[in-house]
Amino acid sequence: MAEGELLIKNGVVYDPINGVNGEKKDICIRDGKVVEEVKNPKVIDAGGRVVMPGGVDIHSHIAGGKVNSGRLFRPEDGRRGLEAKTKVCRMQSGYSVPNTFATGYRYAKMGYTFVMEAAMPPLAARHTHEEIVDIPILDNAALPLIDNNWMTLDYVKSGDIDLLTAYIAWIIKATKGYGVKIVNPGGTEAWAWGKNCDLNDTVPYFDVTPAEIVKSLGEANEKFEMPHSIHVHTNMLGHPGNFGVTMATYDLVKGIKPSKDRQVLHATHTQFHSYGGTNWGDFESKADAIADYVNKNEHVTIDIGSIILGDTTTMTADGPMEYSLYQITGRKWTNHDVELETGSGITPFLYSGKSPVNTIQWAIGQELALLVKDPWKVALTTDHPNAGPFIGYPILISMLMSKKRREESAADMHSAIYDRAALPSIDREYDLYEIAIITRGMTAKALGLHEHGKGHLGVGADGDVAIYDMSPEERDAGKIQKAFLNTKYTIKGGEIVVKDGEVVATPAGKTYFVTPECDDTLTEEMLKKLKDKFEHYYSVTFNNYPVQDAYVPNPYEIKAPMRG
Amino acid sequence: MEITDVVCALCGCVCDDLVVEVEDNEVKKVKKGACSVGKSKLMGHGRIKSPAIRENGSLKECSYDDAIKKAAGILAAARRPLLYGWSSTVCEADKVGIELAEEIGAVIDNTASVCHGPSVLAIQDVGLPSCTLGEVKNRADLVIYWGANPTDAHANHMKRYSYISKGYWTAEGKKDKKLIVVDVRETKTAKVADVFIRIEQGKDFLVFSALRALLLGYEDVVPEEVGGVSKKDLLEAVRLMKEAKFGITFFGMGVTQSTGRHNNIVNAIQMTRAAHTHTKFSIMPMRGHYNVNGFNQVCTWETGYPFSVDLSRGYAWYNPGETSSTDLLVRRECDAALFIATDPGAHFPGESIRHLAKIPVIQIDPFANPTTEFADVVIPAAISGIESEGNVYRMDNIPIRLRKVVDTEYLPDEEILEKILEEVRAIREKEGE
Amino acid sequence: MQTIRLKLKEEVMSGNARIPVEVDSLTPDKLVGKNEAEIKAVKVWWGNKEENTGELFDVRVEGEAGSAEEVKIVMEGDLSRVKHIGDGMKAGEIEAIGDVDMHCGAMMTGGKITVKGNADCWAGREMKGGELIIEGDAGANLCAMYRGEMTGMTGGKVTVGGNAGECAGQYMAGGEILIKGNAELLAGLNMHGGKITIEGDAVMPGADMTSGEIAVKGKVQDMMPSFKFAEAATIEGEEYKKYIGDLAMTEKKAKGVLYVK
Repeated sequence: MAEGELLIKNGVVYDPINGVNGEKKDICIRDGKVVEEVKNPKVIDAGGRVVMPGGVDIHSHIAGGKVNSGRLFRPEDGRRGLEAKTKVCRMQSGYSVPNTFATGYRYAKMGYTFVMEAAMPPLAARHTHEEIVDIPILDNAALPLIDNNWMTLDYVKSGDIDLLTAYIAWIIKATKGYGVKIVNPGGTEAWAWGKNCDLNDTVPYFDVTPAEIVKSLGEANEKFEMPHSIHVHTNMLGHPGNFGVTMATYDLVKGIKPSKDRQVLHATHTQFHSYGGTNWGDFESKADAIADYVNKNEHVTIDIGSIILGDTTTMTADGPMEYSLYQITGRKWTNHDVELETGSGITPFLYSGKSPVNTIQWAIGQELALLVKDPWKVALTTDHPNAGPFIGYPILISMLMSKKRREESAADMHSAIYDRAALPSIDREYDLYEIAIITRGMTAKALGLHEHGKGHLGVGADGDVAIYDMSPEERDAGKIQKAFLNTKYTIKGGEIVVKDGEVVATPAGKTYFVTPECDDTLTEEMLKKLKDKFEHYYSVTFNNYPVQDAYVPNPYEIKAPMRG
Repeated sequence: MEITDVVCALCGCVCDDLVVEVEDNEVKKVKKGACSVGKSKLMGHGRIKSPAIRENGSLKECSYDDAIKKAAGILAAARRPLLYGWSSTVCEADKVGIELAEEIGAVIDNTASVCHGPSVLAIQDVGLPSCTLGEVKNRADLVIYWGANPTDAHANHMKRYSYISKGYWTAEGKKDKKLIVVDVRETKTAKVADVFIRIEQGKDFLVFSALRALLLGYEDVVPEEVGGVSKKDLLEAVRLMKEAKFGITFFGMGVTQSTGRHNNIVNAIQMTRAAHTHTKFSIMPMRGHYNVNGFNQVCTWETGYPFSVDLSRGYAWYNPGETSSTDLLVRRECDAALFIATDPGAHFPGESIRHLAKIPVIQIDPFANPTTEFADVVIPAAISGIESEGNVYRMDNIPIRLRKVVDTEYLPDEEILEKILEEVRAIREKEGE
Repeated sequence: MQTIRLKLKEEVMSGNARIPVEVDSLTPDKLVGKNEAEIKAVKVWWGNKEENTGELFDVRVEGEAGSAEEVKIVMEGDLSRVKHIGDGMKAGEIEAIGDVDMHCGAMMTGGKITVKGNADCWAGREMKGGELIIEGDAGANLCAMYRGEMTGMTGGKVTVGGNAGECAGQYMAGGEILIKGNAELLAGLNMHGGKITIEGDAVMPGADMTSGEIAVKGKVQDMMPSFKFAEAATIEGEEYKKYIGDLAMTEKKAKGVLYVK
């Protein structure tokens, strides 16, 4: 946080959480926070440019074991992003799997100031935090994977929601995590035997179904005033015809009352879960069905996970999915199953506009953003780096804002886009207010971070501001893309970190973590079972498991009391 | 005082359930958990007593400040410095080392370069289908050690994690499992195996290819004998692999350092991929030093590459064989070297040592070793895991925090490096003026 | 025609350490149109510092050139620690007199390089076009891919007068390699296009190949156990056995052809 005062004048401000839609408005910052007025500020003249709160990414894989395994096994990706160190910046490498320094710089240049690392294996949580510390500028948090854990499976099976509640409280605290992440519930445990699970299959040896896991965790999460809902990667990712499973999963938590004013389930990288057809031959978009569900229901939000054409590195805790993908390509494949908890797979992938399947996938992500009517229900993501690297966000923004751009792109792609996707028939174009919603307002709210100063510019908010080098009237898609790639200014906690597209300062980011406050008696009872797991099945000790404070040098704690 | 959950800073097993007895700020006894080698490390031996600088051929004791100044001067002036070691210290120190390398345009490399570097190169060709050691403990019903002899080199490995351990689906321990050992000689581990396959030196690659062909069903093309192994024995191994519910291959330096080197590992991984078409199969390198993996992890997230990183142009150039420490030394490329927590004096080829004798050498280590005998600056450090804490990565990528169990006046590696870096920056600033 | 003579000064390699000089900035296409003074001012890396070419090399320019095609660079002196000779070269000619260090002709797309001596590892790495002639031996990874890539050489022609080290033509996808001597371990590893001719002996050639062609005129030591004999074949009047492989990559993918005596 920078001391002193800053005044940003003559900006055209888009601050959706405060209902500010393209108003010429001054922004005052003192000691890192937005204030009513300032006395002796340093002045930035925005000169009629577009001004937004710092971007908030709701789902991205930027740190931890599988991201690093992705870097490690792709030296060829490393050399696609080499930049020498400067007086301000450390060395950079990588395109789809950038090194930690490049991750911070490149996000900041796009005007982002908060990124959620979307999958933290609890046993390797120290690793995620070690990397996060090395990502400059960005405030951050990480979601621990909780759905394939034996503790969870046991409690779901026995129906002990209260003890499950005690366990998730413990593991979120032990990992310095932010919420409950679910990835292919049951399927990842099945993958430890080389198998997978559909929504109503029985998980081998555990006698529970993925549907029961999602429902139980949904209920358990709402026992606390958690800032975020359960964050779900539904079963059967990437399988033709999976849209039914996706909507059936949404339906599981429909009756649950959220403990705060937000969704009950955030469905992530929905593009990968909106597939029709029965095989890759008759594969088609079902984005319309998913969007229709989201339009008609209030308990679900989504992020799109939209494709960026080109080579990327796919990585997920969904081990069986990565195995399927590797079998298609024959390329290198890393798998890493994590005892009693989760797993992961990594394989490189090329999204080609010449491929009918990739073309339809490309359309689906954008269709979701365009067909969901209320932008407060949808977030812009590429599930970095799965559908493409985050550095492609400006391309997506320009697509959503320009039907012409979409038509031009579609013309160069496989003709399947005209038969098996809806995109060419959609006329909607996003305006800057809606772009601000899906890149900061909605994402901050869905994560509950708006109550902690993120995603808006109201008094008391963090002094995180992006000034894009474009006028609000700009309609040229190429210029829009350029403006969103490199800001005129990015300001983080009142400090100028990017100026004219160059990183000029690299303060450390804060790590947000949640402390769910669970009843002691429940915790004691849960611990008996947990300690038995450590005694017999884990390969590390109970006492060496929790993430020590040393790993989170810049903490921001959010307490989540039990729901009254 | 009894301290529990102490983490062993010896090999890649990183056992974390040690119980030690500490009295008068000294480890008196290791009561539980450690193997004999781990025990001896914890008890300590042969410390370097004081910082020292070589003058007229002999080391002369000096202050930390003087030794650090001298070291910084050497590094700041070098045109192609090498910073090597990093596997027997904590990640926090590795991070500062990388920053120092970046500052002075050095090549930074860890001991992977002379042990499991080939495994990393192989992973870069084909990936690594693997898992944590707890997965093996709970599920594996087939364990293969290939070119690895854990009975001697990783004494707790079989007991804690693999053949002998007991887990959820393996409650009966080794009764529930099969053990295959593949090696050029009948090792101690081979003696307890259900199946021992003796192969000819340097023929691992051929045998892996033959197993792949058999696993994929091309029995007709495979000749009657491959690499000294009969087709019958190969078929038996393939049968066990296909029948297993969960198979794992652990491989050691017998594969990484024999003819074919990293391509042997590529082929071992390819065999794992072929086996995975039948059942769950994983593979894991038996990493040596307790944090050899940790340096690779840190170096990867900071530079993009795991080891042998040349930062002379300000960005990373990675090419083991060119930018690896032994190659640099044999080719006489570097003009200064810093060794931390390692002993090239004992492990590097003679040609390398001859070159080291001609260039300025800095050593940071708690213990004296053959490198001390020719180092020009010697800086003693606290012993990680006994006198200082920090993060390390087990051979299966699990991060574990080393504990500090006694106090010391020696500086931890991290702090020594920070001071050198600070001093280097001061020199550079002065030069800039 | 223009000839640019670059002779490495003796003092560059006379210290205790033999620090490599990296000359990817000195190709005909990058030097064309520059006079002697300008060439001397072109930066080359020597260890962690950039130096002027004129500081490290004696530079002499003879004649004039209208295009890179008319430029010939002659490199002399002790080149055994001069790396990246002709790296990325597009046109013109380079003649290196003596043994050269790694990455000679890497990523070249056109023109011609002649090495009058041995070339260390990675010569012709990821070469796309042009011609590379190594009169002596080539080190390991001749015409191979960069670490982690799945494509090595894609075009051009390479001739090695002597022997080649391990993994010649790894991940090769196109072009031609002629090795007049022997090839060490694993020539044509992962090859998926192009042609390698080995006039001498080879060890484990063709492992994991999925396409392309390898012919070994000498002896094959350690034939891969996962190749299938197809038929007898005659090439240029000589009898060969034709094998198809590598079946370890699955039968569907195994479209590589290996001719052995």
